[in-house]
Amino acid sequence: MTNAVLTRPGRPAATELVRRLPEYLMIWVPLLLSAAHLVSFSLWTLWISFTPSTLVPVSGWVGLRNYTAVAASRNWQIAFDNLLLFGSAFVLLSAATGLILAILLDQRIRGENVLRSIFLYPLAVSFVVTGTVWSWLLNPGLGIQKLVHDLGWTSFKFDWLIDRDMAIWTIVIAAIWQSSGFAMALFLAGLRSVDADIIKAAQIDGAGPARMYRRIILPSLWPITITVVVIQLQFAISTFDLVRALTNGGPGIATQLPALVVYDLMFQRSLLGRGAAAAVLMLLILLAVLLPYAAWRYVQRRRAAHG
Amino acid sequence: MPITTTRRRLLAGSAAALALPAFARAQGAVKPRLTAISQWSAGSDGAAITALGKKFEEKGGVWQHSPVPGFTTEMMNKLRAQIMAGDPPACSQLKGPEIAAWSKIAPTVDLDAVVAAAGYEKVVAPDLARLHKPAGKWIALPLQIYSTNMLFLSKRAMDKAKADKIPVTWADFNELAEKMKSGGVNHPVANGGTRPDDGQKFEAALAGISPAAYRAAIMNLDKKALEGPEIKAAFAQVRKIADWMDPNVGAQHFSTNLKRFVDGDMGMMIMGGWAQGVLRNAGFKFEDFMIAPGPSDNSKPVFLLNADAFIFWQRKEADLQAGQTLMAQLVMDPAIQTMYSQITGSIPVRTDVDLSVEGWSDGQRRTAAALKDAIASNQAVLSLAHNMAQENGMTAAMIDVITEYVKNKTIKPEQAATRLAEAVEGAR
Repeated sequence: MTNAVLTRPGRPAATELVRRLPEYLMIWVPLLLSAAHLVSFSLWTLWISFTPSTLVPVSGWVGLRNYTAVAASRNWQIAFDNLLLFGSAFVLLSAATGLILAILLDQRIRGENVLRSIFLYPLAVSFVVTGTVWSWLLNPGLGIQKLVHDLGWTSFKFDWLIDRDMAIWTIVIAAIWQSSGFAMALFLAGLRSVDADIIKAAQIDGAGPARMYRRIILPSLWPITITVVVIQLQFAISTFDLVRALTNGGPGIATQLPALVVYDLMFQRSLLGRGAAAAVLMLLILLAVLLPYAAWRYVQRRRAAHG
Repeated sequence: MPITTTRRRLLAGSAAALALPAFARAQGAVKPRLTAISQWSAGSDGAAITALGKKFEEKGGVWQHSPVPGFTTEMMNKLRAQIMAGDPPACSQLKGPEIAAWSKIAPTVDLDAVVAAAGYEKVVAPDLARLHKPAGKWIALPLQIYSTNMLFLSKRAMDKAKADKIPVTWADFNELAEKMKSGGVNHPVANGGTRPDDGQKFEAALAGISPAAYRAAIMNLDKKALEGPEIKAAFAQVRKIADWMDPNVGAQHFSTNLKRFVDGDMGMMIMGGWAQGVLRNAGFKFEDFMIAPGPSDNSKPVFLLNADAFIFWQRKEADLQAGQTLMAQLVMDPAIQTMYSQITGSIPVRTDVDLSVEGWSDGQRRTAAALKDAIASNQAVLSLAHNMAQENGMTAAMIDVITEYVKNKTIKPEQAATRLAEAVEGAR
């Protein structure tokens, strides 16, 4: 602003402000609105988590009582264990599937565009649809198991959906189906951005394809890998609609996840205070993933600036 | 002077125009209007409330019903949002202890005068009446009654088992299930996989084993009773039932499997009386199934009460107030209760409705008789699975334990009883 005034002495500052007003409005109004929205509701949830609210929000102070009650409940403990299992299995497997798909697609094959669209397509389907379709496919009495039985192999067994120890894996399967295409797209972009000169130099030096992937291409993909992992992790932590449609937390309460517990406490049990406490715990888990990522990004940027 | 006259006439005219609505209101000529929300959107429930709305319109009212499909809790979310926005519906579905809980967050209508005028109190079961006047005044009105532990028997499955005797005790029930199993019925117990389904299995078992223990443990949350032998026995019975169910139902609704039940692939169903309405609505005949009170070890019927009700929220608008009065009169009317119950398969709240006339099923007659007997022998208790015995938070904590037990066959009955007592302590 001061610069503008200095360089164009004939023009008063007010006119300049008016000229740039649309830009300011475009940027700042939505930004402030969404920030206010996010921050104010987060703070409000934080406040509610310390109150004895049940049916409707009330003021009052109960300290950490809601937190201790949530942390001590079986539902939350099961949800937390499931999150660790589901989160790590889903993130690793979907990244691995995405990477393999990307490498296969990167072989200059014919029909790449069509295949890429097919693999990306599940991402366009809503989680509720994914969950419902997979709940039919995986239901032993309706889906895959019945199909194989009807084909004649009657001893075939695939009943993870109703097996309380394996049910969490059905969510992993459906989630991988849904989002490995996304990981594939990111990895493919990464593969295409590897410096062609390095690859040529390696070829001249006589490196085979396996060696080339292992020593040159994959190591250059690791910034993208971290991005994929972080994005998928925050998806894993906030998973709700997929589980609700696929198992609804069952059999019993075997596939509870934190988001399901929050919804259950707030809207099924009418325990707003405890639900808010569970939501804040979820936010803390998210921060545990996002803060190290932000710190890493910061270090990277500083290194780039100084390097 | 012509101008003055005109002005005077104009003034008189507008005064009359202003006075007219007030006059009409005083005459009761304002058109009654009712805004209502409920979960009843489809099937026999939807048909019944639509029929009630028609009656409301016949009496000159404007019927504005907004159904919220799904479980009752989903309807409650809408109710909560409306109350917090200061715009509650004139009338909403709500039942059991939730009536007392919700009446603390928004003002309700005092219905004492209209209830007294109808002489309603004399014809309602006292336990039920108490739930609808939490602070001593009527603020809600029960509409229909179900028993959650009715026993539905598939005729074809009975034929396969070569049995014709309706089981009375749990021992009879278990014997018949074994007979069905060996007679070629794949799954002697029909079921869905939802939380209330699992809860119903447990409450039917416990109340059938000992109504007194049920009252003490589940309704009064007595610590000693919660650790008592009856609870363990009930869990043991639930394990037997679970072993006879089709494990593949996953989280399906019980109605998904009704065809297999009628076909005799499944044999017995412990379900609320509403299943009759659902069966009839799906096109099945009364000859396809039998209905009896759920198993009771002392041979006297045990009635697990579930009653739907309407609560009335205070509104300032004269038309809504008139609508509330009209609705209250309709809900208490024996003809309306008859119409409603005949559509849904429930029984009327009024104990003075004659069910021997045409239009009622044997199952409904048996249910009404069971209620009368159960009240007489103090064996009418409030359903846990359907939120009549406890508020939602406590109910959900207990159902957690039950549903996990039904689905996890490695949990022992003793363990489940301990967990149930712990869950109650945690939710207190």
